[in-house]
Amino acid sequence: MADGEAKEQKEEPKKIVHTYPLIRHSDMTEEIKTESMELVVTACEKFSANNEAAAKMIKEEMDKKFGPPFHVVVGEDFGFEISYECSNLLYMFFGGNLAICIWKC
Amino acid sequence: MPSNKVARAPKIGRKTTKVSEAVDELEEWRKGKQLLKPKDQLELSEAELKEIIAKQLSTTNAQSPDNLVEFSYAQGAFMSMPPPGNTVVVYETIGTALHKDTEEAKFQLLEQGIDPSTYGVSDDEEEEEAKPEPPQKPAEGEAEGEAAEQDDENKEEEADDDVSRVEKPDDEGEGEGEGDAEPETKVETSKAPPKGGKPRKLTNQFNFCERAALTYNNPTRSQETQTVPPPMATFSANVLQWVIYDGYQKDFEAQQLEKELERERKEKEKAPVSKHQPQRKTPGRSQLSEAVQGRVLECWRVLERMINQNTYDDIAKDYRYWDDPSDEFREDEGTLLPLWKFTYDRTKKNTITDLEWNPYYYDLFAVCFGFLDFMKPTPEGAVCMFTLKNPSFPDYICMTESGVMCVDTHPRYPYMVVVGLYDGSVQVFNVYANCKEPAFRSNNVTNKHKGIIWEVKWAPDLPDGELNFFSVAADGKINNWVLMQNELSVTTIITLYLDKETVPGPDGTQLRVKGCASCVKLHPKNPLIYLVGTEEGQIYKCSTAYSSMFLLTYNAHQMPIARIDFNKYNTDIFISCSGDWRIKIWEDNRLEPLFVFDVGDRVGDVKWAPYSSTVFAAVTTEGKVYVFDLNVNKYKPICVQAIVSKRRNKLTRLSFNPKLPILIVGDDKGCVTTLKLSPNLRIPCKAPKKQQHLDQWTLQCMKLDKLLSLVREPVNLTLPEDTAESEDS
Repeated sequence: MADGEAKEQKEEPKKIVHTYPLIRHSDMTEEIKTESMELVVTACEKFSANNEAAAKMIKEEMDKKFGPPFHVVVGEDFGFEISYECSNLLYMFFGGNLAICIWKC
Repeated sequence: MPSNKVARAPKIGRKTTKVSEAVDELEEWRKGKQLLKPKDQLELSEAELKEIIAKQLSTTNAQSPDNLVEFSYAQGAFMSMPPPGNTVVVYETIGTALHKDTEEAKFQLLEQGIDPSTYGVSDDEEEEEAKPEPPQKPAEGEAEGEAAEQDDENKEEEADDDVSRVEKPDDEGEGEGEGDAEPETKVETSKAPPKGGKPRKLTNQFNFCERAALTYNNPTRSQETQTVPPPMATFSANVLQWVIYDGYQKDFEAQQLEKELERERKEKEKAPVSKHQPQRKTPGRSQLSEAVQGRVLECWRVLERMINQNTYDDIAKDYRYWDDPSDEFREDEGTLLPLWKFTYDRTKKNTITDLEWNPYYYDLFAVCFGFLDFMKPTPEGAVCMFTLKNPSFPDYICMTESGVMCVDTHPRYPYMVVVGLYDGSVQVFNVYANCKEPAFRSNNVTNKHKGIIWEVKWAPDLPDGELNFFSVAADGKINNWVLMQNELSVTTIITLYLDKETVPGPDGTQLRVKGCASCVKLHPKNPLIYLVGTEEGQIYKCSTAYSSMFLLTYNAHQMPIARIDFNKYNTDIFISCSGDWRIKIWEDNRLEPLFVFDVGDRVGDVKWAPYSSTVFAAVTTEGKVYVFDLNVNKYKPICVQAIVSKRRNKLTRLSFNPKLPILIVGDDKGCVTTLKLSPNLRIPCKAPKKQQHLDQWTLQCMKLDKLLSLVREPVNLTLPEDTAESEDS
């Protein structure tokens, strides 16, 4: 992935690779959304090289904070179709190459 | 019993066989196992192993002391104690069983209401039944076995038998006796009832009293309910690197856009002119009804615009596309194409006293309605703001009690409009907030001009951001007004005393004659410098730094000066016009005009064109518009066109649009006419072949300089060197 990014940068040197957390889709309330986003940022920064650990941390924290059962996917390339409990979905990008999907079901 | 014995024998045999089998198995198992021996085990020889060591058991306890003494304090000597004996108590427990014959047992039985004798009998009978049998068996066995053994002892045996026989009756007798005893005990028991009668429960801690009650069981009934499951939804997406990248790009762009909008909004907050959304001002700060009204108003405005667009479709097309084709065949001449006319019913009788394009919205202009024929004053005045998009009705109308003589729009806050009135007061309107009431007005008694205000001009903001403007009036004073929190504070900058002898006033006082200022123009580059034109025909160059003297006095005209305007390209050049039919072009610090044009009637207004350094336009009271281009013709106008009928109307003011090739002229019947300049009137500069890189601005400046160098006369004719200097300046 890093290679791909570097390639992109080479091809279009003026384009910037953004790394800020970007919420793509969420139906959470504003408060929970912000808190979850911060949690994701913390986890992904802590386990920048280990998506599994990051996902585990996010899941455990989410369970603790908002009650189980939460499911978390952290990855670079994946597809998903999920059923989730309404107002409990967060789909966001982070770090320029990670997609994080959190839902409760 | 015998059958039992028979049955038991084979059983035992079987058991033994089993045991022997087990032993064999053990042997087999042992063979396979290596026995572990402790290391320090003694190795014994065969003989030693076979030696039998005898062990003797005796009843004497070797450990018990046999000569025990105890010191007796009473005797004062050791006394020998009796040996403790061989009894060793290993375990001792105190039972609760009582012998039935003891007094206590009897008492307890009585307490329980049992006759001790009957209690005893049942036991005894069992004993007796059990007892006789076992002795009989051995007796029989003995009898059988012994009968064969010895005859000698028969007698003895018989005697024994007798004894036993004797004994037996004894036993029976005892039994009978006991049986006899029963009635006795019955008697006793019959006596006893009053004592113990009914069985009385023993009271002790283990005696519980049990009581139970069964309550009524409520009938059960089953009821079911099912909650609504939490709302669920499905969501799906594909995560790919390019999706993430695109997402970020899109979001970033949106953010940039947002920032830009934010900035624009901030700018608008600073300078909001709600031309297109005037309804915005109402819902923001008032009730719903007003908001609804505002929305309806907005709808009407849109409709109005649409209708206007249809009505004036041909004019709009002319405005946009029509360029006079005859210009190609006419050299050095151009025409003006009349477009829309703007009027407002309430101000039809007023004269247009000032016109000004909005500095922010290029299609919006403010029109002052006052009067110039002072014999017939009109009761009210107004400032109207028209937009080219709506020729039928003004967008903003600010009515005033007195005629409006001049207007100025703040360049940075295009909603702040200052007006000068015929009665000498000034008013500041915030058209964005409220058109009906001025945001600021001068006090009609204490601080006002004592004459007609001929011109107002916004000055650059004060260092702490307060807005301020200048006003010039016929009373010869130039005032600076500062918009404080909720009032206008005024400072007189200069009083235009004429350079004349004092005249005798009432009661022998001497009065200095004051000039009547009729127009003012701030220097575009130097904020301190400004030019004042007077009704006496002088132009004073003044500085805000000096309040009592003029930097320079031009004796410009013989009649009141109507307008002074600085050239847009060269700020040293300015133009003036007057009621003496003349238009003059001046250079700073040169007391003689560079150009003089006579147009044959009173000139109401003159303005430099924003697009060319050499083009200016003027209007005369006979209803003609003159357009000059010095570059084309230094002596004659390149366009003279009558816009209104000569007999009925007079033209008063004009203004160039800063962006579009149109100008507006106002007449004394409250009508504004829009004129489109034909191509010949707005010829752009062509760059010389050698200097293609120069932009229009430089070219325009060069054009003007070249022209000026032709007409400049040296300041001092005796010194040729100065020519160059003056040219430089």
